[in-house]
Amino acid sequence: MKKKLKKYALPLSIVSCILIIYLCTLTGITAISFVDANKILLNQIFHINVGMENISEGATAIIWNVRLPRVVLAFLTGGALALCGAAYQGIFKNPMADPYILGVSSGAALGAAIGIVMNLSSSFLGLNGIALLAFAGAFLTILLVYNISRVGRKVPVATLLLSGIAIGQSLGAFMSLLMLFNNESMNQIIFWIMGSLNGKGWNQVIVVLPYVIIGCIIMLTSVRELDIMLLGEETATQLGVDTEALKKKILFSSSLITAAVVAVTGIIGFVGLIVPHIVRMVTGPKHRTLVPFSLLFGGAFLILCDTISRTLMSQEIPVGIITAAFGGPFFVYLLRKRKQGGV
Amino acid sequence: MERLMPRIMLDFKDVVSGYGEKNILQGFNATICQGEFVGLIGPNGTGKSTLLKCLSGLLPVKSGVITLEEKDNTSYTQRERAQKIAVVPQSFDIDYDFTVEDIVLMGRNPYLSYRTKESQNDYTIVTEAMRATKTLSFRKRLYNNLSGGEKQRVIIARAIAQEPDIILLDEPTSALDIHHQIEVMELIRNLNLKKSMTVVAVLHDINLAARYCNRLILMKDGRVIVDGTPKDVITEENLKKVYEMKMFIQENKLFGKPEIIPLRVIKESEDYRSLRIHVICGGNKASQVLEELEAMGHQVTAGVINQGSDDWDICDVLGIPMIEESPFTAISCEKQAENLAVMAKSDLILISDLPFGHGNINNLFGLENLKGEIYFHRNCLNNDFTEGQLKKQLEVIKKKKTVNEISDHQEFIKMIRELTLIEEK
Repeated sequence: MKKKLKKYALPLSIVSCILIIYLCTLTGITAISFVDANKILLNQIFHINVGMENISEGATAIIWNVRLPRVVLAFLTGGALALCGAAYQGIFKNPMADPYILGVSSGAALGAAIGIVMNLSSSFLGLNGIALLAFAGAFLTILLVYNISRVGRKVPVATLLLSGIAIGQSLGAFMSLLMLFNNESMNQIIFWIMGSLNGKGWNQVIVVLPYVIIGCIIMLTSVRELDIMLLGEETATQLGVDTEALKKKILFSSSLITAAVVAVTGIIGFVGLIVPHIVRMVTGPKHRTLVPFSLLFGGAFLILCDTISRTLMSQEIPVGIITAAFGGPFFVYLLRKRKQGGV
Repeated sequence: MERLMPRIMLDFKDVVSGYGEKNILQGFNATICQGEFVGLIGPNGTGKSTLLKCLSGLLPVKSGVITLEEKDNTSYTQRERAQKIAVVPQSFDIDYDFTVEDIVLMGRNPYLSYRTKESQNDYTIVTEAMRATKTLSFRKRLYNNLSGGEKQRVIIARAIAQEPDIILLDEPTSALDIHHQIEVMELIRNLNLKKSMTVVAVLHDINLAARYCNRLILMKDGRVIVDGTPKDVITEENLKKVYEMKMFIQENKLFGKPEIIPLRVIKESEDYRSLRIHVICGGNKASQVLEELEAMGHQVTAGVINQGSDDWDICDVLGIPMIEESPFTAISCEKQAENLAVMAKSDLILISDLPFGHGNINNLFGLENLKGEIYFHRNCLNNDFTEGQLKKQLEVIKKKKTVNEISDHQEFIKMIRELTLIEEK
């Protein structure tokens, strides 16, 4: 029974994710009937005309151009963050690691804040100026942190974590300063930092998608080496892993993915920290299962949180608040349960 | 031909290495051939583990060359090196829930590229490795739930799965109890003998090293002091150069290997007022009392002792002056007189726990005329083979002097301690 469950776990999860995407697309504040919504989806995806006469163009736009891309983006964002979190926790051998630990979030926030203050609204390749600056900020930060901690060919993990935190803090200070002198932009900056998927469309999905796909491929081809890294760097070296190359590979691919996601959505916390832990409790520490399930579970988790954030009240709640509010207690519950089980 | 010309697996030439500015290894030289079981021994901080780190590619060599199977060690990639060298650390903990099989399977990593999945062949090798280490029965259990000995066997299984030519062990038994120490060492010896794997092991336990290794390298300050068979290396002279302590080396008759008995490092002498104490001994029970008296800094003498007895051995090692008699001979009048002369100068005379017979009863003759206080171990009366002569002699002494009777050597030591302790003011 257990073995069978294991075998079908992945296809079942994929089906569940598609189901969640489907159901959450149907859910929203604007009342669109179940039948109509299905008709719109069938029409748009499979180009089957199933009597679109009674459906307003507004409803089509809401389902196809607002809700569906938003749900898909939520899936990609959540999945990408969880994936990066899993990889970071692996190479840093540290349960506190999340995609933002090396200061990527602070770099992105400073970039975004500069964009907001300068009132940039021009856009390029589906990204507006604010997002571009956020992406640049995130990526420059990781380069800085990496080069600060580099000793010759090697990058000691402890130094990396500490310089990530130090750089993150100082960038945060700059941003506070910026907010202090630009009172009128303060609200917008704070809102950006809290992270939201509001108003995102297919353009953003297309921007994020390649990073997530490439990231997945890199992670999935490194699963065995990531497992061995959990035994410590010395042991990994003695088992034939080129630890420095692996660190570099994971570090840069994760940072790129995170930078892309953060630039589009702002800083959505908690997913990248908690989801890998939850998945690990269920599947065990092996990355061959941890990586794909983190992607799926992270994606599904963020879709659900985002659906709550846009339907709970008439005013939208930033999704970062929802992830923390629901994820935290759920995680504590799992920790307690595990403790009692004595695993 | 192969037997005449053993294949050279490892060659160290003037290897210097260390951490930061500090050099730990300071010109290490050795050549290790296929099938050898080499033990690296020496005090802490002499560079034994550093040497293993250089070899397994964790630490760069500052100068000198390590040659691994005819090629410079630095020319190997980590993956290539892992196919030739496997490392078994002291003990090994993981924070994650891997099963035993997962851990052993990791040993196959050097042979797998990122694209290939583990093949049937890999699983066969892993199963064989687990069978050889008797870990197969718990292959689905979590590594973290195993005992120390079981964990170490799993790590050895992982090393076997690597199919290495050389296996490096860094104090593989220091976290284990006696049973598991022997178990692990036998496992490694089997690998050495059956698969002719070359073994290089850092060992702290010299007796374990002498027993299992066929070659020992004694190191100090990053250099080789002696290199040879256990018999050549484990000598008092060699070990004294390296370990600052008193020790005692004897041949272990069971294994025919030398065995070390460490005695004492720090002398307590400064804390005690020195007395002249003569111990009448010659059996096998006085070694501890002799050693403790000597350590307190008293001027200990002993006699008359037959050469080759256990008490004679200990006096010899500690350098206690003694009156000796040839093995298995009755004490001659000359020796007895000599002994009496020594005792005449003593403050205290201890008749230790030893059997008395006609051959050594004359040790007690003339004691009644000495100035020193006399202590007598009561147990002598239980090992009396003199047909009453011992009792008579005691009566003779008791007529002129007090004989303080003790029933335990420790009682005497305690009394001496209290008597001679210099109190700090």
